[in-house]
Amino acid sequence: MAAEYAHPEVLVSTDWVEQHRGDPNVRIVESDEDLLLYDQGHIAGAVRIDWVKDLQDQIVRDYINKSAFEELCASKGISNDTTVVFYGDKSNWWACYAFWTFKMYGHADCRVMNGGRKRWELDGRELTRGTEPAYPRGNYTAQEPDPGVRAFRDEVLKHCKANRPLVDVRSVGEYTGEMLHMADYPQEGALRGGHIPGAVSIPWSKAANEDGTFKTKRELEKLYAKENGLSRRGRIIAYCRIGERSSHTWFVLKYLLGYKNVKNYDGSWTEWGNLVGVPVEKGMPEAKPAEEPASAAT
Amino acid sequence: MTSAEPVQLDELVTEFADLEPRERLELLLEYCDNLPKLPPELEAEKAAGMHRVHECQTPVFLWVDLVDGLVRIQADVAPEAPTVKGFVGILVSALSGKPPQAVLAVPTDLLNRLGLVEALGMMRTRGLGAIVHRIREETRRAVAA
Repeated sequence: MAAEYAHPEVLVSTDWVEQHRGDPNVRIVESDEDLLLYDQGHIAGAVRIDWVKDLQDQIVRDYINKSAFEELCASKGISNDTTVVFYGDKSNWWACYAFWTFKMYGHADCRVMNGGRKRWELDGRELTRGTEPAYPRGNYTAQEPDPGVRAFRDEVLKHCKANRPLVDVRSVGEYTGEMLHMADYPQEGALRGGHIPGAVSIPWSKAANEDGTFKTKRELEKLYAKENGLSRRGRIIAYCRIGERSSHTWFVLKYLLGYKNVKNYDGSWTEWGNLVGVPVEKGMPEAKPAEEPASAAT
Repeated sequence: MTSAEPVQLDELVTEFADLEPRERLELLLEYCDNLPKLPPELEAEKAAGMHRVHECQTPVFLWVDLVDGLVRIQADVAPEAPTVKGFVGILVSALSGKPPQAVLAVPTDLLNRLGLVEALGMMRTRGLGAIVHRIREETRRAVAA
């Protein structure tokens, strides 16, 4: 199945992970929303990378810097040539977020375990309790953050004014501005509801199956290209609320469908909905006349 | 820790406060493991979606009533959210079996006092306050009934 994707090598099965658990060139990384999941049970040999404590700067709203990233990798036994396989809860939201962060610092071989924790558990595979394994220190030199994967607010504003494609991956209620956050999720402090003008609404969950795995290439192409007219060659920016769900969509567009130029706007709605003076649109856009873009052929 | 022994809330706060952030998480996981299973007679109500705390991101179900004048809290939390389950475990240990006044006096910033905001990070803990509010609200209602 995976073979049909644009970059099939970035997606590995639970079987593959089971077989490569002891491989010294492979480091399996668990990244969850819920911090205690790892303690409760993780894939034997996997290390933990936490989006809050490990990847984010604790003072400035930003990621850790290059040298902190190098230290993080070295301490987890990750070297520049290590194959890093991410998995986690919530259909791999945070696994994709960690993958994206690793790509920002130029890590070459990043992969995602299709289906994440959920698929692993559904397979009835073993989870082990206990402390995080310690590996010999890795040898790591990171690159400067790649501006090709991350969009900042000024760029998003220009992008929006130029009518370039934006994808809002939040729930429809968040997109229309009826709610300021995901249903059942805590409010994260946006003062205005709605979406960035021109953004299409494609909730991230449409790309995932019930078991957390990704939909097939054909299904994904239908969703993004055919139904929403997103061209593979277009410069696309995806956003959500804090950048985690949009990492999932960023991964789908870039690696499963082979879109050339996709960025994740991690400032997302918690930034945009609080920015003074930026345009906000509410409600659903008027239905456009059915028209299939030439580039959307499957 | 045995779930049969009543825990005093202020003792609990002191216990948590004395720990390192990492140890706080270990203790939280113990409370998660020790949350009593939902009695089978409540399963049907849970399946019907009743008693769900809708403000909370993960499925959390709470039953709060009075038995012989004391508050009884029964709960069920999805296993894929051990952080939430651990916090509910703390609340059940510390508040179930206590007089309503004690429950109504629970500080709304309990998470902070336990040092869990520090241990978990702010972004993870915002939804948990809703559970404390719900327990207080339902206790108030039970007393008034």
